[in-house]
Amino acid sequence: MLKLEGVTRRFGGIEAIKDLALDVPAGARLGLIGPNGSGKTTLLNLLSGVVASDVGAIRFDGERIETLSAHRFARLGIARTFQNLRLVRHMTVRENVWLAQHSLPAAAAFRRHAPAEIAFAARIAALLGELGLAAVAETPVSALPLPHQRRVELARALARQPKLLLLDEPAGGMTPAETREMGALIARLVPDDVTLILVEHKIDLVTRLCPRIAVLDFGRKIADGAPGEVLRRPDVMEIYFGRAETADA
Amino acid sequence: MGDYYVSVLANIGMFSFIALSAYLLLLTGEISFGQQAFFGIGAYASGIATALWGLPFPVALLFGAGMGAATAGLLGLLTLRTRGLYFAMATLAFAELVRLGLQEWIYVRTVEDEPVGPNGVDGFRGIRYVFENGITPGVFLIVIAGLLALLLVCFALAERGRIGSMLRLVGADPLLAATLGIDVKRVKVLAAAAAGAIAALGGCLFAHLNTYVEPRNFDIMLGVHSLAYGLIGGLGTAFGPILGVLLDVGLLESVRVFQGYRMIVFGGMVALLLIFMPRGILDETRVRRIAGVWRRGRARARHHAEA
Amino acid sequence: MIAFIQTLIDGIMIGSAYALLALGFSLIFGVLRRLNLAYGSSILMGAFAGAAVFAQLKSGGWIVAAATVAAAVAAGIYVERLCFWAVRRGAAIASMVSSFAIWMQLEEILALVFPERTLAFPPLVGSAMLQVGPFQFRSEYLAMFVLAVAVMAALEWLLRATRFGLAVRAVTEYPEAARAMGVPVARIAFWAFVLASAIGGTAVFLMASAEEQVTLHTGMALTFTGLIAMMIGGIGSLRGAVLGGIVLGVVETVAQAQLGGSGREFAAFGLLFLLLVVRPGGLLAQDFATRDAAAGRRV
Repeated sequence: MLKLEGVTRRFGGIEAIKDLALDVPAGARLGLIGPNGSGKTTLLNLLSGVVASDVGAIRFDGERIETLSAHRFARLGIARTFQNLRLVRHMTVRENVWLAQHSLPAAAAFRRHAPAEIAFAARIAALLGELGLAAVAETPVSALPLPHQRRVELARALARQPKLLLLDEPAGGMTPAETREMGALIARLVPDDVTLILVEHKIDLVTRLCPRIAVLDFGRKIADGAPGEVLRRPDVMEIYFGRAETADA
Repeated sequence: MGDYYVSVLANIGMFSFIALSAYLLLLTGEISFGQQAFFGIGAYASGIATALWGLPFPVALLFGAGMGAATAGLLGLLTLRTRGLYFAMATLAFAELVRLGLQEWIYVRTVEDEPVGPNGVDGFRGIRYVFENGITPGVFLIVIAGLLALLLVCFALAERGRIGSMLRLVGADPLLAATLGIDVKRVKVLAAAAAGAIAALGGCLFAHLNTYVEPRNFDIMLGVHSLAYGLIGGLGTAFGPILGVLLDVGLLESVRVFQGYRMIVFGGMVALLLIFMPRGILDETRVRRIAGVWRRGRARARHHAEA
Repeated sequence: MIAFIQTLIDGIMIGSAYALLALGFSLIFGVLRRLNLAYGSSILMGAFAGAAVFAQLKSGGWIVAAATVAAAVAAGIYVERLCFWAVRRGAAIASMVSSFAIWMQLEEILALVFPERTLAFPPLVGSAMLQVGPFQFRSEYLAMFVLAVAVMAALEWLLRATRFGLAVRAVTEYPEAARAMGVPVARIAFWAFVLASAIGGTAVFLMASAEEQVTLHTGMALTFTGLIAMMIGGIGSLRGAVLGGIVLGVVETVAQAQLGGSGREFAAFGLLFLLLVVRPGGLLAQDFATRDAAAGRRV
């Protein structure tokens, strides 16, 4: 359902993404890894319409969308979380998650009792419960620890019932235990028909959730396949561990 | 009710319109030094409607508001790419251009053997609809209050619903707003148009109560004042800008002893206030807290009643 | 053609005073990232102080100049402490509104102290007309131009060759980095304000000397001349401020010659509006907006 063809994006003199091709079928779970600066966040920005590509095509369900603005991307059913969290700090957990309401059809805004509105309210309540946020629903998000804040971002994205979900380092800054918890939540709460693209540094989390990984390095895709094969490739290992040197004891 | 008090209350009412106009734009994250342009456009347009074209007052109100909305929407479109401080300066430049234009514009017709109409720098005299139809200032005050109340109800409904959330999100984090499906550009232009209509409405009322307006009435001072009302009163609720107007017009007008030293005292007060409450008196945090206390009070009262 | 060039010359000369206003305004904005709406009225206080001294002593010259600049600096310090230093970080809008309130306050103080509204101001040089070829140079404007250029040169030296100047530039261009490097930002802001007030005081001194009078309620025009010139030349660039001042002076003078009184204002605001819509950054913009946005702040 998502296809990238020859996508390039430059910032000043640097090619953040170079000639990228990607084919993601509906319902797939794709992990995106690579060192810092390899272009992962730029790619997510391209996929959510936050930045525009200089060259290339992005197809969503067959339609070319790369020239649309960010809000059109969102309306097509693309939702994302942010690496640095974009929560409204003085608002409560519930109010932050409720921001997803802006994806609902505008006409329903005036009718509290429209079916879409009732379903939405129910969905929020359920999500807050599933994510263990019910107890802190009325607390301002600025008062919560990081793992809770990341869950609020996730809830906001999920409340939109997206077709394509982009998660940007959802376990950033978390301990291994917290990461495992987050992984379990993602595995449980992302419906099977939703396509998921997960950007992460934590290989455990990625391999646990994604049967397919793509590796970026300096803006290029250098590998794409099952984790077992991709992670054993010498060029991928070199990125993370350096070139094998002749042993010097 | 004494004439003086009627006049003070009327002023509070009319300036509340332009204060709310600047407030609406502030919600969407834009500082406008130029709302006085639409106040003036509303004043002139509605004055022409009643005094030159003989239309009834309600029609003139609609016409004035419509002209305000149209010009404000146009300005909003032109300045879509202009952000932050640059936008503020663009609105200021626009407002001055409107004022200078009104200084030159002459559109005089003979009505009942007298020349009536905008006469450049001499202003626009003879907007006598209100008095020709036997409407006393007291009655007109009720009209002002009624319209303002209606406007406040609209704001209250918007705040409780999706529109308020959308406007504030566009102001607080437009990128997030876009990724949530909000068309930020459309919201900003529509908000600008609505703000223009609101300011124009105030201008209509001003023109008809005073029967005479001149371009000098719509200068930068009015614009900066209308901005200041919201920033002092707080942006957490539509009552914030009204509070700002009350403080300026109401408090200081009615305390005669300050006459002549008004700005010295008021200016100092405002500066001190802003040191301790930089986001204004009724800012979002404080409004939340008040709302929370009120809600808990009500729940407790209900609880007691049931016990 | 000759008349046009004459108008250009006049415009450049008056523009040099505008350039000083823009420089002062720009210095404050660059270092503090806040608009000082009380700028015009605070330096106007200086001009009135100078006029009062002239009225008392009946002689002009250095003492009037010193009084003007000193009073402008004193008023500037008052504004800086109350509206800027005391208002906490991140509350730029509060500072702006506060400076607006103090603008009103200062205007009223002036109106109370000087009910005559207009006071005489001593001229700098004897009134004379210099003739160079087909062009005429009024001595008052020439003196204004020469002194303004001297002040600009002094400022340039200060900014390039002293540690204070380096600190000012650092805070202007990379405030977070400067703070992290231990630059005493609050102290630099204070002295930049003092400097800006001194420059502004000099500007009004020159303008009042050329007009031989000072008038109340010109505070707003002074503030907005500085602000508009800064925006024309581009925020964040002191060279831009100078360019903006000269451009504004020329545009106003040419427009006045061609279109009369209100044509002058019309041209100034028309130019500003056009620039902001077409090229929002100004002529020599350093694009603060993008850089600040990237650093997470909003102008």
